[in-house]
Amino acid sequence: MVFARLVRLAYRNLGRNRRRTVLTVAAIAFGLTMVQLMIGIQEGSYAEMTRQAVSAFSGHVVVQEQGYAEREDSDIVVTGTSAVVDRIRQAVPDAIVAPRLMLGGLLTSPHGSAGVALVGLDPVAEAEVQHLDEKVVEGEWLSGDGRSVVLGEELARTLGVELGDKVVYMGQHNGATEVSSRLFRVAGTFRTGATELDAFGAFVDLAAAQEAFGQPDVSNRVTVHLKDPDTADAVAATLKDRLGDRSDLAVLTWREAMPELYALIRLDRSTGNVMLVILGLIVAMGVLNTVLMSVLERTREFGVMLSIGLKPTGLAATILLEGVTIGVLGAVIGTGVGLLATWPLVVHGLDYSGFIGSDTMETGGVAISAVIHAAFEPTRTATYALGTIFFTALAAVYPASYVARLEPVDAMRHV
Amino acid sequence: MPIVSVRGLTREYQQGAVTVKALRGVDLDIESGEFTALMGPSGSGKTTLLNLIGALDEPTAGTVTVGGQDLTKLSRGQLSDLRLNQLGFIFQAYNLIPVLSAYENAEFVLMLRGVPAEERRRRVMQTLADVGLAGLENRRPNELSGGQQQQVAVARAIAGKPSLVLADEPTANLDSKTSHGLIELMAELNRTHGVTFVFATHDPRVMDAARRVVRMVDGQIAEDERK
Repeated sequence: MVFARLVRLAYRNLGRNRRRTVLTVAAIAFGLTMVQLMIGIQEGSYAEMTRQAVSAFSGHVVVQEQGYAEREDSDIVVTGTSAVVDRIRQAVPDAIVAPRLMLGGLLTSPHGSAGVALVGLDPVAEAEVQHLDEKVVEGEWLSGDGRSVVLGEELARTLGVELGDKVVYMGQHNGATEVSSRLFRVAGTFRTGATELDAFGAFVDLAAAQEAFGQPDVSNRVTVHLKDPDTADAVAATLKDRLGDRSDLAVLTWREAMPELYALIRLDRSTGNVMLVILGLIVAMGVLNTVLMSVLERTREFGVMLSIGLKPTGLAATILLEGVTIGVLGAVIGTGVGLLATWPLVVHGLDYSGFIGSDTMETGGVAISAVIHAAFEPTRTATYALGTIFFTALAAVYPASYVARLEPVDAMRHV
Repeated sequence: MPIVSVRGLTREYQQGAVTVKALRGVDLDIESGEFTALMGPSGSGKTTLLNLIGALDEPTAGTVTVGGQDLTKLSRGQLSDLRLNQLGFIFQAYNLIPVLSAYENAEFVLMLRGVPAEERRRRVMQTLADVGLAGLENRRPNELSGGQQQQVAVARAIAGKPSLVLADEPTANLDSKTSHGLIELMAELNRTHGVTFVFATHDPRVMDAARRVVRMVDGQIAEDERK
């Protein structure tokens, strides 16, 4: 009963200087709206980075030879790759399984030569997971004829080759003492926006790369691309079980296979969180100012309340309630408006191409689209909404402790 | 046993390097049902004595006993309880809570005491009618005249049926007609309900109504007259 009356008293006090209350709530709500927008864009870019890195490098789950993660030596290969692929497809029928063999060597043309990362892959699977066929800017994507190569646009320029020209790949692999070579015909050029890939990357059929490697049916990585990325841990566990007889193989989720990317996202998120906590403290100072002003104005009134028998703790509770109410209002409005403002960016994305002059941009070594689609992240959204309430309540602690220490006679003398 | 017993009461304030002696060893007993006026010039210690009796301030030396309880030995919480359950206050500047209506101001003490809603409503409506505010229950202080605000303050002070009401210059801000009505009201409450009143006042009309007048000079009792 007393608490209910104190709640009413707190609400009426907030209405006493309505403009000040509205301005304070608006400041909190605006700050939180910006925070929610920023979270949406940040999470959207992480999702895009992850999606691109997963499709280009590890897949959601990757099966590779033990030791490959540490050394990334192209000689460390999964033998019997086709059997491994079949077993994965049986275990996860709706996943796309894409084996890859990555070789480092030299690519020469009549006009020049350049170091190259020759990637042997399944053209059909990769068109689905990486959409590499859509990144071809000239010519066409691999047709599976075993003779074609699709070069990075910058690499083609370095080599001075055009469509239909011949290039020769030379490399020393699989413990060979001599350099082996293989002839390819340029079928197309691609542009991904990732500098290294465009300058040094060349895609060929998996079988052709195996031939250049000097051993059939091998790959460095068998990548598994899932419809639901959240099932990666469960699928990895299943594959570990199904491939249990192949002790030479390691089954990793993308987080384990690309710890640098995962750490980068975590670091960036942490940095963002620190900035947002600083923002929260600034907001809290604003709330402190408002509540303290309001408390100091009413010191005499508090003296009267104490003199007629209200306990100091009851008075402090009223002040805390005022702070929490401001925080809750600001958090609810800020989160609501923030989510509404984020929604168009989720649907249509935020186009950076005008700023960077390109359709793609490179971040964390991954080329992502210049149109970033924001993403809702309920945990962070809720955390910041609750954090706002916490900080505003915290800001009210000092004024509350001030009134709790008031002596009635001193308070009533206050002008 | 007197409802208030003051012995050797001293209160000193520090104003910079100067020590101001507001009360200098006051002894005073007030019996239940008395209607007492503390008179004296400004700075004579009336308000200080009233504040000490009302547990709003702490003495430098001496004791104050209210309803048999030595205030100097009570904690802050116990002093709050004493103010809530045994005392009523009326201030010169009305000191109503501006965001509460006349009804809610008068109800505040009963609400803090945990009196059930129905009982609360009955007592508050009766008290407001007693002080002449029937029909004005829902008005906030800024919608009432000075006299009406002081009537609300009286209602707040007596609604909880305290054993002692302390009034500090209750008529100082009122015109003579309103003052007269208020004094009559408090005298009536004293007569009919046996409420003990102690006033700190300059107002000769209060002195006329009082049955006991305690004159104070320089923090000491100069004269104690019973009519």
